[in-house]
Amino acid sequence: MIDLRVAACLALLVLGTGVRATMAAPLDDAAENYRPYMIEGIGQALAGARNLRERIAAGDLAGAKKAWISARAGWERSEVFTAGFVPELDAEIDAWPNANSGFHAIEARLFGAGRTDVESDTDALVEHLDSLHGKLRNMALPPQGLLDGIVRLAYEVGESKADGGESRISGTSLDDMRNNVAGIAFAYRAIFATALGNADAKLADALAMRIERLKVVVAARDLPSLDIPELRRVSEELVIMLQGASGKLGLQRATLEAKSL
Amino acid sequence: MTVRRCSIALLALGVLVAGLYGRAIAFPVDGDQTTLPPKTELNEDALDKPREVFRSEFAGGKSYMINLGNLAFSSPGILGGVARQAAVSCGTCHVNGAGNAKFFVPKMSTRPGNFDTTGPLFNPKADNFVLDAVRIPSLRGARYLAPYGVDGRMPSLRDFVHNVIVNEFAGPEPSPVILDAIVAYIQDIDFLPNASLGPGGRLIGKISESERRGEALFTKPFRHDPGLSCAGCHTPSGVFSDHQQHDVGSGGLFKTPTLRNADFNAPYFHDGRFDSYDQVVVHFDRVFDLGLSEQDRRDLVAYLTAVGDGTLPYEHDGAGASLKEINDFATVLGTAIPAGDKDTVSLAVDTIGNELRELTEQYPDRKNTSVTGGGQQRALARSALKELVLILRRIDMAVADGRTAEAATDYKNYRYLMAAAVPAVLAGAEPWSLFNPAVHDSHYAALRQVMQSKHTPR
Repeated sequence: MIDLRVAACLALLVLGTGVRATMAAPLDDAAENYRPYMIEGIGQALAGARNLRERIAAGDLAGAKKAWISARAGWERSEVFTAGFVPELDAEIDAWPNANSGFHAIEARLFGAGRTDVESDTDALVEHLDSLHGKLRNMALPPQGLLDGIVRLAYEVGESKADGGESRISGTSLDDMRNNVAGIAFAYRAIFATALGNADAKLADALAMRIERLKVVVAARDLPSLDIPELRRVSEELVIMLQGASGKLGLQRATLEAKSL
Repeated sequence: MTVRRCSIALLALGVLVAGLYGRAIAFPVDGDQTTLPPKTELNEDALDKPREVFRSEFAGGKSYMINLGNLAFSSPGILGGVARQAAVSCGTCHVNGAGNAKFFVPKMSTRPGNFDTTGPLFNPKADNFVLDAVRIPSLRGARYLAPYGVDGRMPSLRDFVHNVIVNEFAGPEPSPVILDAIVAYIQDIDFLPNASLGPGGRLIGKISESERRGEALFTKPFRHDPGLSCAGCHTPSGVFSDHQQHDVGSGGLFKTPTLRNADFNAPYFHDGRFDSYDQVVVHFDRVFDLGLSEQDRRDLVAYLTAVGDGTLPYEHDGAGASLKEINDFATVLGTAIPAGDKDTVSLAVDTIGNELRELTEQYPDRKNTSVTGGGQQRALARSALKELVLILRRIDMAVADGRTAEAATDYKNYRYLMAAAVPAVLAGAEPWSLFNPAVHDSHYAALRQVMQSKHTPR
């Protein structure tokens, strides 16, 4: 059992951290800048998944792999919001390691076993992505949730991929990371960069520098060439700066775990 | 005090909204994009780890140098190239200062438990173009076991460690203090106690007849070479080695290995060719024509087993064991921060951060299909550990900027969290963690099943 005092500390923390409302309105407007990117990313994932369905129906393994990679890229670019905003769909679409449906189940069949008998898995993926895509136009985009999403993803990017990473069967873990970083860079720039620049130009500069550095690190030739200690350092420094920026943006300190299902 | 700790927990744990995120990454190594060859087995998922016994624990506690050495020993950062990239440290092979009987790297190992230190993988410049893998030795009692290397080529442990870092693993030239620290750590690792061993290496206490007969055979001169006996080289003593090199028909001159704690040091011989004492005894019987009967062999094995025993050789891996080691590592910061020692602070932050990130993955995220339940507890555990990683990084950044007072405050907060809040949070999540054998087995079975698809004939 969790020590009662610890639990009390944590409860107090949640209640005791107030939101400074001064910045909320401009950030609400800025958050709308993110919506087209989000729609485009999930749109790419959905188009890729539909193409994947066609390719497997045609028994075209090479084409199916290509479609899977394209769908995956759209998904990974969108991970800033998926875990926090649509946790149920996120868990269906990106379950790991031996999911019944979703990206990784299909990956194991296509890239591992070299088979295209993934009709039902692909149907489920298309259905989930379609359902998600349909929600995006009217989904509320609270800046706090988006900042939390950026922070969580920035931390996650720093995890070691020495074992081949999450998408190790397809060998696309580095692509996942690059798309994650692209998603982080866009979301930060579109939603928070201007506001933070006004509140603390020095911190905004330092933060932008870390994001650029992260891009350079993940531009490595391949996963074995990735400078993992440097990646970790930059990822953690970025998270610390984003947490430091939270208050200056009138938001709560960004958290490291998304809401439970 | 409670209020103070509470406020620190508030500060450092952040707003914890229960839930899970991230993804568990775990070995086995596989795929097309790995630094180490696919099918490498590091045995990092073992639930039971060799127990460490330190001399200094009986002499007033570990010194700064011993903790620094343990830290460096666990840091991929002191090695170079591929090892650093693959997060391999000294401790990957010498788990808790013992060996690693399951360690296997394709084309660099000829069997689990050995490794070619002069192969092409970690330092191509050191490649001798021969697959000559050597057994990964336990370091227990290493301070008694000079000279070093399977062939006993190096009298100095310090020189040996230097050679491993710079030549075998292509690391940068280590600072003298890091070398001294690693030597201090290795020299602090004791043999596990064995209550059956008395003065002069004699078996004492409740000894079986078979063991007693084995002891007599052990000291009996070989029938065709009366100048030789088992005990002639494995001198009964606290060490059971004469520290000399001998040719025992295994392909060259090799140092007499200790028999202390050898029950847990398989595989045996310089290249790890034998899995058991039975095979070892058969080898000696054959090479030296000892004329042993079946009973003689059984008696010798019984004797070797009694000599090679040790108290509590393994301990169940859990958050407690991990936190204990992490806390030992962190004590280094208590000295390095006030001294403004940037290099040591960075080494500690990187190494402890790695350990904390690995510990985080013991609490599967919500996307993990191999565990259900305990979602809030797992999220809390993951979040708390991530916050610790970030506190450490803040310390690193502050010391790099010369803000040592700020770093000292963060370090104090870190210690408060590690004293009570974090162990409590981790204990709360333990039933749904990979420390639970059922969850562990389910997770790794799922992972291996998925990986297997890569290797199934089409």
